[in-house]
Amino acid sequence: MSRWRYFFKRLLLSVPVLFLTMTFIFVLLRMGPVDPVAARLGPQATGAEAERMRERLGLNDPLWEQYLDFVTSFLTFDLGQSWVVFSGTDVTTIVAITGPPTLWLGFWAILLPLFIGIPLGFYAGLRPNSGGDYLASVSGILWQAMPNFWLCIMILAVLRQTHGGGWLGFDWYTFGPEIRSITGTPDLAFLSINSIETGLITVPLLTGVDWGALAVDIKLILPPALVLGSASMAAELRIGRTAILETINSNYVVTAKAKGLKDRVIIWKHVFRNAMIPLVPVITNEAFLLIGGSVIVESIFNINGLGNAFFQAMTQGDLPLAGALLFIFTLIIIFLNILQDLLYTLIDPRVGYDR
Amino acid sequence: MSLHEHAERTTTRDAPIIEVRNLQTAFFTEKETIRAVDGISFDIRPGETVGIVGESGSGKSVTARSLMRLVDAPGRILEGSSVRFTHLETVREYASTFAGRTVDLSALEETYDPVDLFERNEIDATPAAFGYEHAHEVSLADIVAAGYGDELGIVDEGDCIFITDGTPDSPDAIADGFIEITRLSGEAQRRIRGGRIAMVFQDPLTSLNPVYTVGNQIKEALRLHQGIKGDAATREATALLEAVGIPDARRRVNEYPHQFSGGMRQRAVIAMALACDPELLICDEPTTALDVTIQAQILDLLAELQETRDLAMMFITHDMGVIAEIADRVNVMYAGEVVETADVNTLFADPSHPYTRGLLRSIPGQQTGDRLETIEGNVPTPNEPATSCRFAPRCPEAIDECETVHPVSVPVDEDEPDHTAACLHCPTQLSTDQAVEMHRRRNATRNGGDLE
Ligand code: SF4
Repeated sequence: MSRWRYFFKRLLLSVPVLFLTMTFIFVLLRMGPVDPVAARLGPQATGAEAERMRERLGLNDPLWEQYLDFVTSFLTFDLGQSWVVFSGTDVTTIVAITGPPTLWLGFWAILLPLFIGIPLGFYAGLRPNSGGDYLASVSGILWQAMPNFWLCIMILAVLRQTHGGGWLGFDWYTFGPEIRSITGTPDLAFLSINSIETGLITVPLLTGVDWGALAVDIKLILPPALVLGSASMAAELRIGRTAILETINSNYVVTAKAKGLKDRVIIWKHVFRNAMIPLVPVITNEAFLLIGGSVIVESIFNINGLGNAFFQAMTQGDLPLAGALLFIFTLIIIFLNILQDLLYTLIDPRVGYDR
Repeated sequence: MSLHEHAERTTTRDAPIIEVRNLQTAFFTEKETIRAVDGISFDIRPGETVGIVGESGSGKSVTARSLMRLVDAPGRILEGSSVRFTHLETVREYASTFAGRTVDLSALEETYDPVDLFERNEIDATPAAFGYEHAHEVSLADIVAAGYGDELGIVDEGDCIFITDGTPDSPDAIADGFIEITRLSGEAQRRIRGGRIAMVFQDPLTSLNPVYTVGNQIKEALRLHQGIKGDAATREATALLEAVGIPDARRRVNEYPHQFSGGMRQRAVIAMALACDPELLICDEPTTALDVTIQAQILDLLAELQETRDLAMMFITHDMGVIAEIADRVNVMYAGEVVETADVNTLFADPSHPYTRGLLRSIPGQQTGDRLETIEGNVPTPNEPATSCRFAPRCPEAIDECETVHPVSVPVDEDEPDHTAACLHCPTQLSTDQAVEMHRRRNATRNGGDLE
């Protein structure tokens, strides 16, 4: 089938992208302004000591050998050690600690707009120029117009106000699962995983879910996720509305009506699926932006995540950490791209068909 | 015409399946009211193809959409319009399904006499608005169907099935009646679409949903209108694709619209319309987007399908050549009005309206150049009730009176009541002065009943 062949072609295309990124990171690390030896030993390192360090870091090898080393170690996830921020710690360890909170935040920052923005946009598109449409569209624009950092602070301020019973007795701290602080890193320990040794490999097995802990983790992540997803939510609302309007006026919807289909079938079968097509790139593109946005949101909400780590690595010249994180971000983006192609392929049979 | 005569008429083979009377559809914009369809009347019989021909902007498509009730806001069918669907089986079925919306007109007829109603001025229209000269010719059915029954308190808002012979209590014994399409709403309206009146649209490239297979979209209609599901539906869909001349139907039933060529797609759209098993098929310029050889194939296909399925067909086109091939009767539309109607042979042999003559001169092949090149100018937008001939600015035969008198449809000459034209030069047996006088008089009686 030609659409699946197209999909695999796209899949293959991510290989050169991956290599390009790695080369770029390599160039940045080796030829960038920061001298690795100076960064590790301080600028006043003496000749002999510096020379030993050079040797240890492999900086005296020919460049192509360094490049090969670099690529193989990245591809095997041997990402080296942090220089400054978490001096001497393996980058993989850092990622294992800071990754999950970021993924948790990103997951909700994608999910919330998806389930609020798109339904609202569809609702508005189905009732164009009605009161509900205006309300949804205007609040979408307002929501998007508010900058993230400002939204963060406002939400924190408002939620803090409710401590000890604020407005109408509503207290965010005790509302639902109780939390002590409204900021901080979710510990994500709601899954208990036991491992089974099978001799050759160890199989992780999900043995239980701590629903209370899960609720706390969700509650903790909702405000930052809402802020982080605000732009996506508004964009999805807007595009969703336009997509519905365009689809509903298309000839095949008139044909469906002329066939005598029920309105419900027309909307769910003939309108929604077509309206999703222009939304796919919006969803994935907004997901790219989350990576940048998470830096601000993580530092304001005091979440110990990848964004936060990347920010510190960049400001403190911790090149291996920054490079490794950049590599991980690239992987995420490549993954999102593949996801986008997959969604396209699933929704639109015309994909990859050209005549 | 009494109800009794009406009953007799419908029992013959020639009874129309749909009767359009004084249909008016207008679009209300902030700037103006566009009277896209302005008081047209025609019938369609089973097995017959009625062609509607005219340039773009003449109101052909709006007519089709009005019959399907697909006119969206700001467009609306005006009071006084009537589109009666008289297919007896459908009427019986509707009378039993929608008993609450069924009205027994024969019973009402005893209490209400149209002549009385006109005399007491209880109806906001004159007999001329119904197409008659005298009040006693107007039946109660005409009045109720045109929407005046609500003001009289005879019918409720939702009523749309009218029984003229028989009683709603025993639907199977109903001998005559009609469904008033302009009064339909909700479920009753939905059920007319597809299953009773199906439609093939102009552009086959966009009238199929790109994300579902052709088979899926045909099966959807099969399930809805014929209750065929699952494997049986797939088989039936394949059979339909074969019937419309798609080779290798078994494979193609699982293909997507973009894998079909334009002509094949239009065949698939026709198959989809047939899957609804309609009584009347409306084709809105089905061949315009296709090239000439394929156009001929599709016309042949439609003619053949009509023959085998005894379909009534309404065929809309701007192309006189196509009309000559497919139509039995022709209505020529101009600026929202039917300006000439005749059977196809008469129309081509003896066109009486100057506009028809212009269209005939412009058949491709008879001369070179663009379509309709002999008629200078464009169709005007009909935004006022007509007080002149709307064709006058472009008419080579116009006389001074054309600017002040609105021509009504009259028989072209006495022996041919089925050939009518709306031109001041008709009827031909009268002198021009007499004819103008006649049109003026008919207008005067009619104008009392004109809407808005
Ligand atoms: S009424 Fe006058 S303007 Fe109109 S078609 Fe006849 S001759 Fe021409």
